[in-house]
Amino acid sequence: MAATHPRGMKRDLMDIICCPLDKHDLDLDVESEEDDEVVAGTLTCTDCGETYPIEDGIPNLLPPDMREETPA
Amino acid sequence: MTGTGEDLASRRGVETDVYDPAEDSRLLADVACDEVSADDLVLDVGTGSGYVAATVADGTDARVLGADLNPHACRRARDAGVEAVRADLVAPFCDGAFDVVTFNPPYLPADAAAARDDWMEVALTGGETGREVVEAFLDDVARVLAPDGSVLLLVSTLTGVEEVTAYAGERGFSAAALADHSFPFETLTVLKLVR
Repeated sequence: MAATHPRGMKRDLMDIICCPLDKHDLDLDVESEEDDEVVAGTLTCTDCGETYPIEDGIPNLLPPDMREETPA
Repeated sequence: MTGTGEDLASRRGVETDVYDPAEDSRLLADVACDEVSADDLVLDVGTGSGYVAATVADGTDARVLGADLNPHACRRARDAGVEAVRADLVAPFCDGAFDVVTFNPPYLPADAAAARDDWMEVALTGGETGREVVEAFLDDVARVLAPDGSVLLLVSTLTGVEEVTAYAGERGFSAAALADHSFPFETLTVLKLVR
């Protein structure tokens, strides 16, 4: 297993992820960070305006209708 | 049909919310370590425990992201050192982003008697045919591949290797089997898909 345990989202992930609905770029709004990695914040689509949370260092890029914690 | 979700789940000792690495994960990780170069950007779809992503990252020095629908899997993968993204297949990733996409999909045909209605069922079953999740993946994965990118897809005889190969062909991919491993109840194959 990897020796380093990332606690947050790396900022350059912004070059790799997009809005799952319309594939447009996302804007990053940082609420808290640790060692230059984003621990909490939001990602907002520059086109449709949908927002996606970053919680505990993990961006949740599920479409809004799939976000609940339990399956089906 | 002997390989119901319930049988396999108990045979593989899955009692948790996250699919633990098994023979299929190890076969896919081994093949991916041979195929991935240090400067590749890799996405492991349905990363689960993060085993394949972490093994490929350690074995190749490539940057490997892990995506999963399941929040428990995302946290566990992250704790295993994987950059995790909660995602529906490849939906939130940019066009042309990845050199290699790996996927050990939920592939067991659903069995009404074995339906569990929990995260483990999501991790194991691919709808009535076992191919629904694989097909949804194949419908969109070309979009996120770099021009010379490839897909490493684990397929079981329980899912139908010929059917998956034919579907991938309809989506513009040619397939080659890189490795396979036989068990009493199924044979696992890793397909490399290129355009």
